[in-house]
Amino acid sequence: MTLLRTRLYEEHIKQNAKMVDFAGWEMPIQYSNLKQEALAVREKVGVFDVSHMGEFFVEGPDAEKFLDNLLPNKVQGLSDYKALYSPLCNEEGKMLDDLIIYKFNSSKFMICVNASNIDNDFNWLSKQVNDYDCKLTNQSQQFSLLALQGPKAEDTLLKLNIGEQIKDLQYYCFQEANDLLIARTGYTGEDGFEIFGPHQKIIELWQQFMELEVEPCGLGARDILRLEVCFPLYGQELTKELTPLDCGLKWTVKLDKENFVGKTALENYQPKYQLIKLTVDKGIPRIGYEIIQNEESIGKVTSGTMSVVLNQGIALGLIDKNKYCPKEKIYVKIRNRLFEANRQTKAFVQGGHK
Amino acid sequence: MSKIQEGLFYTEDHEWVRLEGNTVSIGITDFAQSSLGDIVFVELPEDGSDVSAGDSFGVVESIKSVSDLYSPVSGKVLEKNTPVEETPELINQQPFDAWLIKVEVQNTDEVTKLMDSQAYSDFCNQ
Repeated sequence: MTLLRTRLYEEHIKQNAKMVDFAGWEMPIQYSNLKQEALAVREKVGVFDVSHMGEFFVEGPDAEKFLDNLLPNKVQGLSDYKALYSPLCNEEGKMLDDLIIYKFNSSKFMICVNASNIDNDFNWLSKQVNDYDCKLTNQSQQFSLLALQGPKAEDTLLKLNIGEQIKDLQYYCFQEANDLLIARTGYTGEDGFEIFGPHQKIIELWQQFMELEVEPCGLGARDILRLEVCFPLYGQELTKELTPLDCGLKWTVKLDKENFVGKTALENYQPKYQLIKLTVDKGIPRIGYEIIQNEESIGKVTSGTMSVVLNQGIALGLIDKNKYCPKEKIYVKIRNRLFEANRQTKAFVQGGHK
Repeated sequence: MSKIQEGLFYTEDHEWVRLEGNTVSIGITDFAQSSLGDIVFVELPEDGSDVSAGDSFGVVESIKSVSDLYSPVSGKVLEKNTPVEETPELINQQPFDAWLIKVEVQNTDEVTKLMDSQAYSDFCNQ
């Protein structure tokens, strides 16, 4: 199968990006150097092309009612121009995806979904939308998307005369400016913006960022950054075998809502798994490595890497709640040797987001 | 363009081998370190352990990847490079100085049949 390319492909090649297959897309994994890219976002500013992600629109009088009855998180009562993170579940309460919705007003929403799930999500939503007076459209082809992230993101954006008002934009809020949708959201834990817009405008924006010496950052840096702040990734921490209650997303499940898809299942569900945060003093935990307690495997690493900030191995792991004893030591099995792991209660790195 | 040092032997796994008497030092090439990116972890065998030609004797890890190190020779590990284990970025900085292990070999033919610098250069340019 031919890999899809974002409209920024040529720009990546100009920056000597190393391109890889990601969810059927040919995406930049890194440009100069992984560590340099990740640290640029923590200390200054970096930009990511995430145009492969999907954008759906829900428009019509029932738009808000439809989304509130669909999603575990509470859509009803969300202010205009606010964004909201939510899992998307089936009737069994199992996770189909995680997504962000953007509310323009109660009859217009945009939904941003993971690239790998665009088709499945759209099919699922199409089945659900039937009884509601609103229209669902997949506009993923019409949008490119950049994530400008880092403590200097605001200064950088202000230099482009897109609008002074971005200074007043709060975390998880957005605005429209010159055909662009600018949201104060991101996947790095740092302050920053996600900017949706028509392809040509986004290409020009990318070129302006390059002139301003914003660090181009690939998916490799993005993965380190999100893991350092413990943001889960669909396909790794979050899967269709799990409910949101198994993987640290209880805060997004509003069981006090009248209804949502999966509510009945989740009300009666006792979580089987638990997501834990681990550091090791020596070695690097990687995806798939076993987590061991009392000589028994109690789970697996779902994401692991070397933190560029801490210079230490960090990991998220999914463990079996029934096998796990909080008081006993745990180990990660790296190449048939056990390395003691330290459980962390807070994110490995505290990002500086608003 | 990655650097290649003359007077060394090279493997298809992008390791270099320096032969001095019956002792060889093994490291990874400039090409290898550059492909891996920032090396953040190295695991090496203990002094006195045995290595066999074609078998893995340790790993180098970059932020995103784990790569096995394959021994081109059989013999006893005389010494591992502890400073490199403690400061893996030495491999990125000086790949031909940052040897990983020194091995006492029985059969130096295992080394001399490897590629020389010219052959390795051609191999990299293929």
